[in-house]
Amino acid sequence: MHAVGVLEQGLCNYVAISYGHNPLSSGGLKSVFQERAGNEAVFGQFGASAGYALAARRAMHEFGTGPDTWKHIAVGQRKWANLNPIAMKYKEPMTFEDYFKSRWIVEPFRLPDNCLITDGGRAYIVTSIERARDLPNPPVLILGMGQHNPSTDVQQANHLAGPTGAKKAAESAFGMAGITTTDVDACQIYDCFTYTVEITLQDYGFFGPGEGQEWFEGCTIEPGGRMPVNTSGGQLSEAYFMGLTPFTEAVMQLMERCGPRQLGPATGTRKPEIIICSDNGAILQTHTCIVLGKD
Amino acid sequence: MAHQKPLPRPDADTAPFWEGCSEGILRFQRCLSCGHIRWPASFLCPECHATEAAWEPSAGRGTVYSFVVYHVAFDPGFKEDLPYVVALVDIDEGPRMLSNIRGCLPEEVRIGMPVELLWEDRNGSRLPVFRPLRAC
Repeated sequence: MHAVGVLEQGLCNYVAISYGHNPLSSGGLKSVFQERAGNEAVFGQFGASAGYALAARRAMHEFGTGPDTWKHIAVGQRKWANLNPIAMKYKEPMTFEDYFKSRWIVEPFRLPDNCLITDGGRAYIVTSIERARDLPNPPVLILGMGQHNPSTDVQQANHLAGPTGAKKAAESAFGMAGITTTDVDACQIYDCFTYTVEITLQDYGFFGPGEGQEWFEGCTIEPGGRMPVNTSGGQLSEAYFMGLTPFTEAVMQLMERCGPRQLGPATGTRKPEIIICSDNGAILQTHTCIVLGKD
Repeated sequence: MAHQKPLPRPDADTAPFWEGCSEGILRFQRCLSCGHIRWPASFLCPECHATEAAWEPSAGRGTVYSFVVYHVAFDPGFKEDLPYVVALVDIDEGPRMLSNIRGCLPEEVRIGMPVELLWEDRNGSRLPVFRPLRAC
């Protein structure tokens, strides 16, 4: 959103947005958890996994979700990763049985409910439509944007089971783009945890509270499914590069540069015209929704 | 060598809270303008923005709002506690605070479960944790 602002003001012609990190090989994340923990650390509370797990447990209580819903997200996205040679989990298929046998991290989250820790990076360029049309790849248009940041710390928040910031962010983005959920061909959803995908899609209006399990059943989000989600494998199975993981995948899919995992006839899905992306910050404290489309 | 667990790091806002803990008293700030009882500690009331407040003792009772069970030690000091419960506790007087649930198995913890205060000593500091409320 910032990039669009500075471009429209004529402050620059191109904005490069990039992310690079090496937490897997450097062990850097561990010290981040300990430094940032504050007074929660005295109670043994560290990191994002536990924060989102507190939210997910509350959702289990409020509308009956749980691992029987989240297994579809973990396993479904893994199938996309198995089509993506640069995904961390490219060569590791996962079944429901594998999911339930995985070890607990912070219950109710098992290992596959958590995003990966990845060495690597990602980047994309934002520019005007005119300049984009002059460049080698087909332009991808920003049709709508929305942001809502409830910002309350997870320890005091009353929105852990929704509606989260996703609801108003989507109303803004979908409204700007003039679309509803029926116009969406695929979703690239910030998936720091499986529950994040569920609550985002629920708040975006794809299903109601507690209806997620039924919506995900029948391979909905997988190759061949009626609503592909996180077609690179996502942060859960491809790589964690913050919001750039979902966003760059949406762009690549709309540019038709995804090879074996390309949305369309190759994967038994709709050729994408409109893809929605989400980004989150902290523990359900900030949310951005972006609607992208073909030129 | 045993790993040390982290100790409280009081700041200007939380110093009276931790001082109360060292005396075995759980205290929260009550706004003297609107009566709202707040946590986390703050120099002003989140409801009415007044600054005048008094630290008042809590009865130390509440209910579990949410909880998680750690099966992995993110800090080596907690390895011996695994599996352990971190919970959000709705204190009866109003505030919600993060703490541990002790005195029962993790699988016995339920959202809505009534709990009561329990003091835990750690290297000279006292931490407010909770256990299932005991019937008289």
